[in-house]
Amino acid sequence: MLAIQDLNKKYSKAIVPSIDHLSFSISKGKIFGLLGPNGAGKTTTISIISGLIEQYTGEVKVMGYDLAKNKKDILSLIGIVPQQFALFPTLTCYENLIYFGKLYQLEQTALKQSIDHYLSIFGLQEHQNKLIKHYSGGMMRRANIIASLLHNPQLLILDEPTAGVDVHSRNMIIDFLLSYNKAGHSIIYTSHLLEEAERICDEVLIIDLGKKIIQGNPKEICTMHACENLQQLFLKLTGNSLRDH
Amino acid sequence: MKRIVATIFKEWKLNQRDLGGLLILFLMPALLTIIMALVQDGPFKDFQHVQYQVVIINQDQGRLSDSILKALEHSNQFIINKNNHFNANSLAEAEQQIQKGYFHFGIYLPKGISNELVNSSNLLANEIGKQVGILGSLPHRQQRDSLRIQLLFDPVSKPAFKLAMQNMVERMATKIQSQIVLERIAALGKSNTEKSNTNIQDLFQSIKVSERNYSSKQAHINKNSVQHNVPAWAIFGMFFIVVTISEKMISERNSGSWTRLKLIPGSFAHILIGKMVAYMFFGLVQFYFMMILGKYLMPVLGLPSLSWGAHPLALFIVVLVIAFCASAYGVFLGSLFRTTSQALPVAAISVVILSALGGIWVPLEVLPESLKTISVISPLRWSLEAVNHLLLRTQTNFEWIMPIIILTITGVLFLIIGKVFISQNEHT
Repeated sequence: MLAIQDLNKKYSKAIVPSIDHLSFSISKGKIFGLLGPNGAGKTTTISIISGLIEQYTGEVKVMGYDLAKNKKDILSLIGIVPQQFALFPTLTCYENLIYFGKLYQLEQTALKQSIDHYLSIFGLQEHQNKLIKHYSGGMMRRANIIASLLHNPQLLILDEPTAGVDVHSRNMIIDFLLSYNKAGHSIIYTSHLLEEAERICDEVLIIDLGKKIIQGNPKEICTMHACENLQQLFLKLTGNSLRDH
Repeated sequence: MKRIVATIFKEWKLNQRDLGGLLILFLMPALLTIIMALVQDGPFKDFQHVQYQVVIINQDQGRLSDSILKALEHSNQFIINKNNHFNANSLAEAEQQIQKGYFHFGIYLPKGISNELVNSSNLLANEIGKQVGILGSLPHRQQRDSLRIQLLFDPVSKPAFKLAMQNMVERMATKIQSQIVLERIAALGKSNTEKSNTNIQDLFQSIKVSERNYSSKQAHINKNSVQHNVPAWAIFGMFFIVVTISEKMISERNSGSWTRLKLIPGSFAHILIGKMVAYMFFGLVQFYFMMILGKYLMPVLGLPSLSWGAHPLALFIVVLVIAFCASAYGVFLGSLFRTTSQALPVAAISVVILSALGGIWVPLEVLPESLKTISVISPLRWSLEAVNHLLLRTQTNFEWIMPIIILTITGVLFLIIGKVFISQNEHT
């Protein structure tokens, strides 16, 4: 599904690279957790895969397409849920979804059906005509996810989708991800909530300072390092020092 | 196309919900137009219908002084103050008043100047008669060089004005003298030749100079306060859209919605085109809204009604190009800055500066030469030049084409540089 080979990225004003010779691959139909402390390079990796950052070295392939040559094809296969609320605050949720759907050139009837379907799943049908700026944090997160699903992506990439939301919204999001994965879609997911990652991910990759630390099934790698859970393993491998940037 | 249309509708909805932005787009230029048209109405009238205060110190009371007075009165350009009761202090008093600025200039007609003109005309007629063999002689005496018409000018008068007044008085004196000479020759000849019905004066003035009247009703559109301020502030308002565009672009970038747009497959140019088309539409609506105000509201306020000119299609094209350039400038500023607190003051102040240079505040012809030279950098100058050309002239020689070429090139450059900045910001 996704293969990354010797990926490197250094921002122009940075002293050290954000991604340092990173290589990993993801199999189809998996929920893959990309984990790491603050500044580990998770968002940079996602930004490269999604084509937002174009200056990097290394190779990125999504479903056989080379990102350097087939960015447009890749973007139609993947759905990205950015960490920011990437919606227009003074449009309603419905207007936002219609607009983004039209940018994907989706057929009007199919688009409306898709919007209704996801609004219902995420419990936003009653609030579809409210301006986004009047939404709570949890509602914004859910609307943000819907906007990335309209074109039915094969690979869904979510950058901290449950950050700053209440328990109800978080449960709803996690339940959806599990069902979406069951329907045959692959998911890459970043989070600081290791317990959550351990619960839903088939495989995790822990990176730090842009380098790969470990990759594998959460339970297996915990057992391998004699740790009780993913959080213990995470601290063991990345250290206890604060990562203030 | 679907992406472009979707973006146009999106921009329409965003602006529809931004009351402050709409007020900036429509109310602000409308208020500016009304206020500036009212404020500048007086100065424009002064500029267009200048009437000079002139004092006549008339000690002559003869044919020459009567003719000069009639000519001045007939021109409607002078407010005449006659001083017919001449005394020893009259000239000195007039001089003092002119120096204090009460009068623009004065004409001193000394006693006997008309008689002197008649005398010199008689001398000339006698001489001509002698040379062509006409018998008889008209009464005359020796010429006196001491008698002269004197012109008194306000010290601040411009040399061109002084020259024009001097030429006018000299021309009148010459005209009257030629009339007298012709009358005298005719009188001399009556005793010797057969009576002729021909008017010698008409023959003498065979070449006449007159102002040509245009056939079209539109030919006499004067550049009054309304005719200057309405298009000028409409253009200012169109360019002020850069504040809204740059603010929205930066907010979209900072809020993350810009990121999502970049994540959707397809050319980002479609989104920029959609944005540009939406704002160009706002610009068009703004301009014609102001033109309607100029036509129908200004007369209600006691000002002249705005003339829309004789080239509606060409005007539409010009306004479209102005809207393109203004929107492109907004995209450029929105790409250049990362925060609204950086962009908004620059956007607003730059438009104010460019408008001052472009002849929006006061007509370009009033600006000093140095500023006129610098004004070529202002897209508002070219905008106003093209619009004025089409509004004020009935016959056009396509001089409006050059400004719109300049505006189009400027707009394209703004977009190219903007794209470079957008790419730079993303790749670092």
